[in-house]
Amino acid sequence: MMEPLYVTGDTPLHRLPAWGKLLALLVAGAGLFVLRDPLWLAFAFGFSVVLVWSTGVAAAAVWRQVRGLLWVLLAVALFTGWFQGPLEALAVVLRVAAMVGLALAVTLATRTSDLIAVCEKALRPLERTGLVDAEKVALALALTLRFVPEIWRNFQEIREAQAARGLGANPVALIVPLIVLTLKRAQEVSEAIDARSV
Amino acid sequence: MKSNNTVLVALFAALIVVLSLMPPIPMPGIPVPITLQTLGVMLAGAMLGPVRGALACLLYLALAAIGLPVLPGGRGGLGAFFGPTGGFLIGMVAGAFVTGWLARRLAARGSGTWKGLAGYVAACVVGGIVVVYAVGVPWLAAVAKMDMAKAGGAVVVFLPGDLVKAVVAAWVASRVERVFPMLGR
Amino acid sequence: MLIEFDQAVVSTPQAEVLRGVSVTLAERRIGIVGPNGAGKSTMARLVNGLVVPSSGSVRVDGLDTRQDLKAVRARVGFVFQNPENQIVFPIVREDLAFGLKRLAPDRQQREARIDSQLARLGVGHLADRSSHTLSGGERQLVALAAVLVMEPALIVFDEPTTQLDLRNRNRVRAAIDGLPHDAIVVSHDLELLEDFDRVLVVRDGTIAADDTPAAALRWYREHCG
Repeated sequence: MMEPLYVTGDTPLHRLPAWGKLLALLVAGAGLFVLRDPLWLAFAFGFSVVLVWSTGVAAAAVWRQVRGLLWVLLAVALFTGWFQGPLEALAVVLRVAAMVGLALAVTLATRTSDLIAVCEKALRPLERTGLVDAEKVALALALTLRFVPEIWRNFQEIREAQAARGLGANPVALIVPLIVLTLKRAQEVSEAIDARSV
Repeated sequence: MKSNNTVLVALFAALIVVLSLMPPIPMPGIPVPITLQTLGVMLAGAMLGPVRGALACLLYLALAAIGLPVLPGGRGGLGAFFGPTGGFLIGMVAGAFVTGWLARRLAARGSGTWKGLAGYVAACVVGGIVVVYAVGVPWLAAVAKMDMAKAGGAVVVFLPGDLVKAVVAAWVASRVERVFPMLGR
Repeated sequence: MLIEFDQAVVSTPQAEVLRGVSVTLAERRIGIVGPNGAGKSTMARLVNGLVVPSSGSVRVDGLDTRQDLKAVRARVGFVFQNPENQIVFPIVREDLAFGLKRLAPDRQQREARIDSQLARLGVGHLADRSSHTLSGGERQLVALAAVLVMEPALIVFDEPTTQLDLRNRNRVRAAIDGLPHDAIVVSHDLELLEDFDRVLVVRDGTIAADDTPAAALRWYREHCG
């Protein structure tokens, strides 16, 4: 259930280093922000579409990622169109779509582990100030990845148990036991880690 | 009771993931089914306090940023941060912090009573809604080139749902606090 | 391994969990039984310092658990009752590597240790699996492997088979039987303790019986059954 969005591949985008792609993304973001001409924005959007397509991603996966955005874009387009005219609305939509498209392409073509490595490097100066403990960060990341499927399973079990008692969809009745269970789990995990801390 | 801050932050981040991925709940009178993502944020702050709650949110956002599908609907990746609603995500970190900060002050005296519950509600509304919107709305205005008033008007439709979430979060926090006192630690 | 309890008291604001326990443990296989809430789990946790006595002392090979905690933990491994929350990394191999970095800084050496330890327990094929896909019995064996990979001298088990079904209970039992290490096992599974060297019965925070398995278990069945 926590399958990374990364798409395995060997395209030019894949081969670029992670930090380079992130930097390019930030530069592109700044550039798109000041670009006004809908023609250029359309070009940027077209480029981002090509980039996404080049990663080899399945159409269904892209749809899942952009589905929610389409509604937001529609609302924004209507709003902007009403107050500032259709050309401006087009520019706004193209700008957002291009930005999201480029970011999506980077996510699809960059391994999770490579992005984590970039985060580690970025955190290193903070480590020296004593604010950040790299081992604790790595452990926290691992713990979250480890226990999401277990906590999800707890949620399903609680939901079934509630349904069996005819309690229907009461969010409080679902969430309170889930949190209590998770806090208990935190105690046991803490003990286990303690016992292995030599 | 043994507790380890790293473990608490990590498991709460996992809780936010689970809450985000739960099927959205349709509510009468509200056009969009509400997701429980902000509920997770409010609870992280309310239960873990300002610092650990904010860290749990940060960890959650980091998981999304590195390309894991932990946002509602199985979304994830950098696209969510660069889009018009990115500010609502970033604002969650400050939101959790403020929720926790207020919860410690307002709900600590008299948790388990109506006063305590009211304290939690206030904390969740200010932290989970006001602060988050304070970051999200200007971001939306900037990205969509709207002026602030119009951007604010656009998101007003989500307020009723968020208010319900704040009350639910407060109720859950006060119930859990009775079994597992977390406010003092 | 020599474990010495000297008037060890563990008290919480609510109750006195263990009162003035004094006993010396040196046998290879020691069992601890007792009714729920009697203090057996607390006693087990005193051995590796997860709990320290409010007064009195616990010494492991002469090391005081309050002062030499890290040295104690290097010698004493602990396997918990709940198989699920002991494995803390998403992939089995990563979990076994946790904590090994200091003992085995060379990567190949580390991987070799991990693979051999898992294989010894019959779970070598699980090395690259996602932790959450393992069955209860597999988890318990992996947890044991994670303890063994640190090469302790003594392993304490706190009800290792209570949450397992019969087949997995037998697997874990066999694994414990085959261990060359010293072991202290807290258990409700009386069959597991029948071949042990010594069994203690803990009741109401004290040691009520301390004898051979046959005698101690008979006492236990008569008085706590």
